[in-house]
Amino acid sequence: MTVVPIRTLVRRPGGIRLSLERWVPALFLAPAVILLVVYLLYPLLSSFRLSLLNWNGLGETGRYVGLDNWVQLRHDPVFWQAVRNNFVLAFFSVLIQLPIALVLAVVLDEAGRGSRLLKILYFLPLLMSSVALGVVFKNVYDPNFGPLNSFLQAVGLADLAQDWLGDPHYALGAVIAVICWQNIPFYMLLFLAGLASFPRELSEAAHLDGATETTIFWRIKLPHLQGTFRTGVLLAVIGSLRYFDLIYVMTGGGPENASDLMATYMYRTVFNAFQLGYGSTVASAMFIIVTAAAALALRLSRRFQTEV
Amino acid sequence: MGAKRFLKRRRHVLCGTALALSLAAVLPLAARAQGGRTITEWDLQTTAGAVKVIHDAADRFEQANPGFRVEESHIANDAYKTKLKIAFGANEPPCVFATWGGGPLREYVKSGQVVDLTPYLDKDPAFRDRFLPNSFKPVTVDGKIFGLPAENTAVAVIFYNKEIFARHKLAPPTTWDELMSVVKILKADGVAPFAMANKSKWPGSMFYVYLVDRIGGPAAFSDALERHAGGGFADPAFVEAGRRIQDLVKAGGFAEGFNGLDYDIGASRRLLYSGRAAMELMGSWEVATIRNENPAFLDKLDFFAFPAVAGGKGDPRDLIGTLGDNFLSVSAQCPETSAAVNLVKTMTDDKAAQGRLDDRRMMPLKGLSVSDPLLKSINLLIGNAPNVQLWYDQELPPKLGEVHKDTTQALFGLSVTPEAAAQQMEDVAKTELR
Repeated sequence: MTVVPIRTLVRRPGGIRLSLERWVPALFLAPAVILLVVYLLYPLLSSFRLSLLNWNGLGETGRYVGLDNWVQLRHDPVFWQAVRNNFVLAFFSVLIQLPIALVLAVVLDEAGRGSRLLKILYFLPLLMSSVALGVVFKNVYDPNFGPLNSFLQAVGLADLAQDWLGDPHYALGAVIAVICWQNIPFYMLLFLAGLASFPRELSEAAHLDGATETTIFWRIKLPHLQGTFRTGVLLAVIGSLRYFDLIYVMTGGGPENASDLMATYMYRTVFNAFQLGYGSTVASAMFIIVTAAAALALRLSRRFQTEV
Repeated sequence: MGAKRFLKRRRHVLCGTALALSLAAVLPLAARAQGGRTITEWDLQTTAGAVKVIHDAADRFEQANPGFRVEESHIANDAYKTKLKIAFGANEPPCVFATWGGGPLREYVKSGQVVDLTPYLDKDPAFRDRFLPNSFKPVTVDGKIFGLPAENTAVAVIFYNKEIFARHKLAPPTTWDELMSVVKILKADGVAPFAMANKSKWPGSMFYVYLVDRIGGPAAFSDALERHAGGGFADPAFVEAGRRIQDLVKAGGFAEGFNGLDYDIGASRRLLYSGRAAMELMGSWEVATIRNENPAFLDKLDFFAFPAVAGGKGDPRDLIGTLGDNFLSVSAQCPETSAAVNLVKTMTDDKAAQGRLDDRRMMPLKGLSVSDPLLKSINLLIGNAPNVQLWYDQELPPKLGEVHKDTTQALFGLSVTPEAAAQQMEDVAKTELR
């Protein structure tokens, strides 16, 4: 046996080398694909399958009921209330978190190295566990002992003091405020990263041309950030539509479902009411809604797509 | 501690939405080998005292039954219920498991997952007759017993601050009307009559359950649940209970914010501690909780039974609560049924009862000697109670239990009329119960 020159292999159509070339990408992709199929596609499909059952989740007692669960879902006021709440959350997340995060990022970016401590401070809420944060803010909102109402009363705004988490009118808003507070640092970081890639020459050149700081911000920096902005909006919308933790910790979806989200409603349906079938219907509907909303948002914002 | 039975349904935050996706990952873990001579045991006791009682019982069982090994798992409340459901769903349940009886256990029984313990108990009447007869009610389905009361006894009573009552020259009310005038007097003096933390809805449910029991007697509920003698959840007793709850709310009976306060972070107890509220309707575990949190307050603490309602059919000695707190059952898929039953019996024998008593928990046994003065008088109430109604949210089938809690919270929030709340409950009951 002698060494076979590679060149001959390459030239021969259908040879070992060629078939290897065909298989190598597949081989490298396989682990990711297998993981995705096992942990994403399979649970997703079986969730859809479960949504066609009336099953309490125990033993082999599931009963096939066709689309009954989906029909029930269509007429379930709590579910639609939850969907509405999800969109309210998404709307305010975008409206509150992104502008504040942008301002913080721009200010910190201007301040340069001196702002390291502030950056860390502002970043802290994101690092805290939602459960701990929820408990802290439950105490802040407590109408009997909480500092918020005490403060309002002390400064003569007693009329504004409310039963924040116990009144169906305020519960959702009260939690949304905390959600925003916790997540602003994330978007701040995103914008800081976007600003870091902003070429200094551009603003220097603009300065030479006599542009003011305001003009530079509105006409140069902001357009530069539009891709980052788009990413932020998308993340905020998707994150809001599948949100769970702080609502669960602070109100449990209550009072009277006033702050229920799709995810908290699904959780209660499956684990408190023992309705695995119907809970899967809620989960599947949630998947469809989130996917549709994400696709729509991607499409609508396509013109803002940039490299950053 | 009794409070644990409630904690199970909270704090699943980490699971969250990811739960559905991680299901596939969890299943292989739940599927543990249970063949051979190993008996798996799952419970939700995580305090050192409670675990020791179970561990000692397992040791005694292993010594008495050579060749058997007990594999104990003590799973924190938050994860227990989820884990148990997944294990059963995957057909790999533990041999011995703890539940809270009532509706959820009945789901397991209906699915053929639980061993009927009646024949085993009939063979050993001396063992069976140690328990208070009422204690088997939450685990009895169609006259058959599917679990043994194990951990504790918890009934709801109205705790009150003796100092505040003395200051206003008030005596513990024995009727609803007296209670309402106590409420009026306290309110007029700027003290909130009741502390309640109703975020998780079960504290408010206690008022409703007691009122239905006092107004319509235990039969009102059991007839509605069993669809017996034309009973239903829209019957006058249920509507009247809702009306009286709203009377109490409108009279300013509760400290502000009650529907949003969280019992788990002590939102109701600190109202008591600070003297801002005078009373709390709560399970008897509150004594142990207060002893841990604020032992000095125990000096000011006393309790009275839920007052009678004039013209009501219920016996004012009746209580609501759970005699057993946790109940131990054997799963039908356990390959070593009779050994598992013996393990359950060892876990609830006299030695285990003494161990729990040393841990300040009362198994529901006849003639239990309790030293703590408050618990002692609560135990007297239990001994005299003709009937102990299990909490509705535990007794009802799970879906109906959720509706009950939701409608009761809405009643307290004054956002639904008593009639509408009762009707909502009845509508779901019609489809859920046959």
